[in-house]
Amino acid sequence: MNKAVFKTIGLVLAALLVAMLFFLPMLGHYGNDSTLFTVTLLLASVGTAISWNLTGGFTGYVDFGHAVWWGIGAYTTGVLMSNESEWIPQQWPLVPALIVSMFFTALVANLVGRLTMRLSGPYFSIAMLGFFVFFREVVRVVGPLTNRGIGLTIKPVINRPLWYYITLIFVLFLVYLSWWLRRTRFGASLIAIREDEIGAEMRGIDTTRNKVMVFTLSGAITGLLGGMWAYQNTFLDPDIAFVEVRTIDAVMGTMLGGLGTVAGPIIGMVFLFVLRELLWTQESLLQTHLIVQGLLLGAVVLYLPKGLMGLVRGEVAFLDRFRERSSTFDGMESAVLEAQESSISDSENEHPNDPVAMHPTWDGRTS
Amino acid sequence: MTRVLEASGIVRRFGGLTAVGGVDIHVDAGEMVGLIGPNGSGKTTLFDCLSRVQTIDEGSIMLNGTDISKMQPHQVAHIGLSRTFQVLRVYRELTVLENMELSVQWGDISLLSSFRKPTKETTERADRLIDFLLLSRLRDQQASSLSGGQRRLLELGMALMSDPSIVLLDEAMSGVNPSLVEQIKDRIRILNQEQGVSFLLVEHDIRFVKDLCDRVVVLNYGEKLAEGAPDEIMENEAVIEAYFGDDGTEGAGDAGN
Amino acid sequence: MDTLVQALINGIAVGGFLTLMVLGFSIIWGVMGVINFAHGEFIMVGAYMAWYARSEWGVEPLYSALPIFLIMFVVGFVLQKLVVNKVIDRPHLVSLLVMFAVSIIMSNSVKLIAGADFRRVNSDIQRGFWELGDIATIPRKHTVVLVVAIIVLVALQTFLQKTRLGKSIRAAAQNREAAQIVGIDIKWVYAFTFALCIGITAMSGALTSTIIPVFPFMGPPWALRAFVITALSGLGSVKGTLGAAMFLGLLESLVATYAPGSSGSQLAVITAFGLLVVTLVLRPQGLFGGLRPVDAGGH
Repeated sequence: MNKAVFKTIGLVLAALLVAMLFFLPMLGHYGNDSTLFTVTLLLASVGTAISWNLTGGFTGYVDFGHAVWWGIGAYTTGVLMSNESEWIPQQWPLVPALIVSMFFTALVANLVGRLTMRLSGPYFSIAMLGFFVFFREVVRVVGPLTNRGIGLTIKPVINRPLWYYITLIFVLFLVYLSWWLRRTRFGASLIAIREDEIGAEMRGIDTTRNKVMVFTLSGAITGLLGGMWAYQNTFLDPDIAFVEVRTIDAVMGTMLGGLGTVAGPIIGMVFLFVLRELLWTQESLLQTHLIVQGLLLGAVVLYLPKGLMGLVRGEVAFLDRFRERSSTFDGMESAVLEAQESSISDSENEHPNDPVAMHPTWDGRTS
Repeated sequence: MTRVLEASGIVRRFGGLTAVGGVDIHVDAGEMVGLIGPNGSGKTTLFDCLSRVQTIDEGSIMLNGTDISKMQPHQVAHIGLSRTFQVLRVYRELTVLENMELSVQWGDISLLSSFRKPTKETTERADRLIDFLLLSRLRDQQASSLSGGQRRLLELGMALMSDPSIVLLDEAMSGVNPSLVEQIKDRIRILNQEQGVSFLLVEHDIRFVKDLCDRVVVLNYGEKLAEGAPDEIMENEAVIEAYFGDDGTEGAGDAGN
Repeated sequence: MDTLVQALINGIAVGGFLTLMVLGFSIIWGVMGVINFAHGEFIMVGAYMAWYARSEWGVEPLYSALPIFLIMFVVGFVLQKLVVNKVIDRPHLVSLLVMFAVSIIMSNSVKLIAGADFRRVNSDIQRGFWELGDIATIPRKHTVVLVVAIIVLVALQTFLQKTRLGKSIRAAAQNREAAQIVGIDIKWVYAFTFALCIGITAMSGALTSTIIPVFPFMGPPWALRAFVITALSGLGSVKGTLGAAMFLGLLESLVATYAPGSSGSQLAVITAFGLLVVTLVLRPQGLFGGLRPVDAGGH
């Protein structure tokens, strides 16, 4: 089993899955409106995970308030398309509403990103969670615009199969976008930012510009998905538009699949979905599925930090090296030498309390 | 003769503490200058200021005649100043080649260009440097699997990708296997003598500085204590006292926390 | 004028219970470098325990506070040994996600056991108001919490300054390695600190259960406030926490009193977060480690 084989298997499975999805509406009983509604939501959550992964996975800035973009997009569409907003009583058609939603969410994301991305790691994550809570309350407060906590209604004019296909194609496009982005220099610079932001900065990467850009993109994508959801759902209020679970799903799905990989969010979300379906059907576990998810998240973070993709890659890398080493005597000798050298280097890099290895902000003093 | 790097009156304070209190330091084209001092002397802070990782409260820094005092690190990386770090900053999950390719954003640095894949030029340059640094057989290995010394070489390579006029080396020998130390020193010497790259080195190991540097600057308590040829410095009483203290115990003279 | 005085009094009252609620979060962060993402949930658990004690056995929250502290102290100790210990040396993201997972488990478990409805905890001895002449009134419930908060603060400060264990904790916070060299058993210090903070946090939930809305997902706004206050006051500084909590309390109170229309809780959250934003704007170098992500060799 080597890399090429794994890749081929993966692609074949993916192709099968996509084919199944394409034929779903035509499957009579299985392809009824209710199923399509659910699967459309699932697709949207995969899209959200992919979008979250662009910032959280590629760049390493873990956005714990990601669901806020969904809500903002949803509410923008809602406000524009419904007639219940005092300030915007006209009812907009779908496409302009979605376009405006996407751009407005992008704008907000850009402004917020410039502020919050000054914070590192966990501080950024919490600040984003705070922003999520904040915005939900803002929506509740600005009554004349958003109709407060009462909610907004959009006229239900929808062709379910058509909407399903639109969502499917959009999400497939997102998969491609994610893959393509990773291969550009821009994508590589994001990985550099994640791996070592100061180092990246020192080597010519404008880290602020790049990370805010991808954050804006993430916001825009999820905002659009939220707007699409609003249309499909025909009703929204602050408590269903701004839902923590959406962030949790995106984070967990991506972590499960493999943070920062292209396939990770997809694999993870599918896995999560299957898991959830299994749990739903067990009557007794109906109430506990979130608890189980919490346990799962904890376990994944502690014991499987690279997710499922990490497992696969680990396997492949291990097998490759094993094959390489054992084939020649030279190979073994160099392996021994390397081992000797890495025992010296390990101590400086694996023990963060080693004073020598500490961040050199002060001379001789730990930061 | 052009000064590659000219810093005057550098002051850097942290709250009530003055880490660097008015230091002048310069590097001429083709020079190798060592920067030493006991723990707490401010040499790392000065280094951070010069490489723009930290802001300066007072003073000015000129790089090849351009004022870089207010620039950001990524900007100075584009105009000829590179820096390595004491804490190794390589991209662990990427291969050696990828690390190298990511380290140049020279030439066309517009946003649009960054949506293309690394150019052939970049890859060729990366390969040449990888060969020069004797890392060829590790080209496609993950950086995390390299030994300490090999990572130091990689980091040096990454600093060289931008074709800098001056490289700031921060404790480049720390944690490196003695056999590799010679290799690294040798590479640095070649770069300096054959390609005219200037170096400013921060080092704890004075012997290393003695071997390589044309001139040495000594800091203590945030100020310049002495400056001159390595031999002179090693015999300078004030320097000896700063490092070893009156009673000859090593490492004294440090209070700067 | 009366309104202003009332608003200020309210602010101090709010600041009082905020202090108690935030203390644990700040100290865990300062000493162990762990951001307790489940902080709000520990408040919630404390509140639910008080509700249970009240509705099942008729015990006043004021009296159940101490037992709750002790119980949760033990719980915190166990949790630290089992879970938190594993994440201390790992990158921040790991501790964040693990505590996040813990928070999900806690809130949903409580929902499973006690239902999702809002609970009211009433008190007989804390009913009514103190009157300050004709100018203002302050609910007794608030004064109780304020008094307890002050007692805890003083006790904690004394403990940290004067006792050996307290000094060990402070040493560990400043420099782990140095503390270990001097012979301090870091593991026990951490376990104790965590347990202590969880105990205090749960107790604060119990005491404020008569004031704030109690339901399984009540956590996040309080966690947010904890973060904002800690950000303002600096890590692990007891005095700083008091100051920042008072500041936020007064701010929220003034906003709630003088802002037109809408109800308090929404504006309160907006205020807290708004404060964070202002801090970020005015201090562009960020909150703690400076503009650049602070990397302790293992990011």
